[in-house]
Amino acid sequence: MAIPAPDKFKSAKEVSRPVHTFAIAKNGPIAYLGSSDFKVCAVDLSEAKPEVKDVHGEHLSYVTGVALSGTTLVSGAYDGKLVWWDIAANKLIRTTKDAHAKWIRKLAASPDGSRIASIADDMVCRLWDASTGKLVSELRGHQEKTPHGYGSMLYAVAFSPDGTLIVTGDKVGHVVVWDAKKGTQLASVEAPVMYTWDPVQRLHSIGGIRSVAISPDNATLAVGGMGKVGNIDHLEGKTRLELFDWKAGKALAEIQSDKFKGLVNRLAFAPDGSWLAGAGGAGEGFLSFWDVKQKKVIREEKVGNHIHDFAMSKAGNEIALVGHSKVIVFQVA
Amino acid sequence: MLKNFCGSPEHSVNRRAFLGSTLGTAAAMTGLNALAEPALAAELKKTQKRVILLWLAGGASQLETFDPKPGAATGGPFRAIPTDVPGTHISELMPQMAKRMKNTLVIRGLNTKIADHGGAAKIMMRGRRDEAGIRYPDLGAVMAREMARADSQVPDYVTFYTQTEGRGMAPGDPGFLGARFGPMELTTNNTPDFIRKLESVSVLDHKERADLRDLLSKQFVKGRSLGETLGSHNEAYERVRGIMASEKLFDINQEPEKVRDRYGKSQFGQQALIARRLVEAGVPFVRVGRAWWDSHGQNFETHAEMVPELDHVMTTLIDDLKERGLSNDVMIVTLAEFGRTPTINASLGRDHFASAWSMTMTGGKAKGGAVWGKSDPKGATIVDQEVNASSLFATIYSALGINPHKNYYLGSRPVPLVNPGTEVIEDVIA
Repeated sequence: MAIPAPDKFKSAKEVSRPVHTFAIAKNGPIAYLGSSDFKVCAVDLSEAKPEVKDVHGEHLSYVTGVALSGTTLVSGAYDGKLVWWDIAANKLIRTTKDAHAKWIRKLAASPDGSRIASIADDMVCRLWDASTGKLVSELRGHQEKTPHGYGSMLYAVAFSPDGTLIVTGDKVGHVVVWDAKKGTQLASVEAPVMYTWDPVQRLHSIGGIRSVAISPDNATLAVGGMGKVGNIDHLEGKTRLELFDWKAGKALAEIQSDKFKGLVNRLAFAPDGSWLAGAGGAGEGFLSFWDVKQKKVIREEKVGNHIHDFAMSKAGNEIALVGHSKVIVFQVA
Repeated sequence: MLKNFCGSPEHSVNRRAFLGSTLGTAAAMTGLNALAEPALAAELKKTQKRVILLWLAGGASQLETFDPKPGAATGGPFRAIPTDVPGTHISELMPQMAKRMKNTLVIRGLNTKIADHGGAAKIMMRGRRDEAGIRYPDLGAVMAREMARADSQVPDYVTFYTQTEGRGMAPGDPGFLGARFGPMELTTNNTPDFIRKLESVSVLDHKERADLRDLLSKQFVKGRSLGETLGSHNEAYERVRGIMASEKLFDINQEPEKVRDRYGKSQFGQQALIARRLVEAGVPFVRVGRAWWDSHGQNFETHAEMVPELDHVMTTLIDDLKERGLSNDVMIVTLAEFGRTPTINASLGRDHFASAWSMTMTGGKAKGGAVWGKSDPKGATIVDQEVNASSLFATIYSALGINPHKNYYLGSRPVPLVNPGTEVIEDVIA
């Protein structure tokens, strides 16, 4: 099936919710959501009028990561816990109470479903066996403190499409590429522009790397966040994408939007790597597409709400976005 | 110039004792330090209340500090943790303060109505709005007026505000009390500018110039009835010499390394340490402005960064003052111009909110462990024991031993310290 061009995507469906939704994982038409009401929910997006239904309320804080491995749904939250749920039997498998010492920021499932990666503000990426829940390895390559002495955050994680690599990105702009099997560091790059520290006006920081993705050929690393900010009371920096030849340690492109401000919270390459989709926002949201070869923006679409995450179908013809108060589905017409 | 010595023996200072041990020697310029004068320190301990105001400029969130609402739609992601006061919970971002809430009064019932930075800051530094023809003094000026020694040779009112954002919105202001009770404003560094003796003038030179001025003044006044004028003139010079001599109070390198490490390397921590040094030396009021909390976007990230620092600075101050026997006489106040909205906006921020927010007092006669005021389960309104700015300030004054119903005078016009009809919250005064 041909990979659709970005201009073919149209908004197809919207589901309103009175919460912030931070995470989405899809199993066919069913989307599993992690939200600010501390719950994990499910919604069948193929229905004409999709209804969101509770799956569980095992967490004690914002659910910021969900990942699927077969019929196992794993969720992570600011409570530092991982909850493993059997979606077929609709029951709890296990809870990993102290999965992380601080806020869990995101989860990612390896493409073959064998591993779950979790990242947290304890600045560690942990790899878990998806069937047993056992800890397989810990990836430590991010500093616990910012250069200015404050606690840092580990915001972004992604597997490469072939599952051999993991990428992590943090608040101060440090990105590490790991061998997913061995748990060893292969390379690192820096995107410090995405971290704004204001020593003069406000004496605190904003920003950070919020999304990472690796191209299907493993050659190109994409990093998303926000450009430099003047007034760090607001997300008023331009949305920012940086591309790297990570093996060579070379920066390929820095692309800031003239149309949208805020964070790029999620990135995903098209299945053939020809384009890159990204979404995020500030007070409002956006869905953007970039041509990877030409290193330029193809399309920037305003979305009515700040987007925290999206799930793209394997064929690359559907993108389900979640964020402030809505689930929005873009499909190829 | 208003007289500031009430004549009470309790408020008098043995001038000779105060000055005699430090003047008259070549080391006079560096010797004036109440920290090094046990007799003076004891005198101060007996009578004088002091305030360190931690001014959380921009408006820290009450939901992420002292009035958490975990599980509410407005509560955000942080949990509430129990404290050493049964039934009282605060944000998980303040684990150190959770062990010291029995020393701290929390007022959760603030409804101060004004939610723009400038207007709100003025009210929350004064307890009231200015009126036509009357510029009211702020808390620092009142403390300087009420607590300063007649012949004090340390500053009476010091304010640190290093960041540029919001600085102009709440400058120190003595209002109608006049410049005598105005602040020493430190904005660019932690040591006052222009008080250092010039390198070209030796200590001996400086003393001899003062002695000569004194001699000439006495000769001048012979046969003239200028006693009061000259007294005022001499007092001004003594104050300047004293303030010049207090330069070392601002130098944290005078503290042992372990004390400096305890406060930490942050600007906030270092300024809090200087504040402790100043109040210990008898400065009645020090404001440490920690800007800038105005988290319209990314409220939780900002508070995750800044509240732990506040937790550390507050608790270090509380413990340090207690160890030095100063808890009864030095009150630590946390206050801002307003709090933040329960509603979380699309940027995961909170906006300005003056309808239900919090402040704290630790020390003085503030009743440790007490909680006054209750907000609804979402934190949107006050449902019990509402407090406005005027009653807050009446209570602060009362907790410092100042009669909030006393009058100052503008000419012959009595001007009450707080708005007429304002009640003190007696239940929170120990």
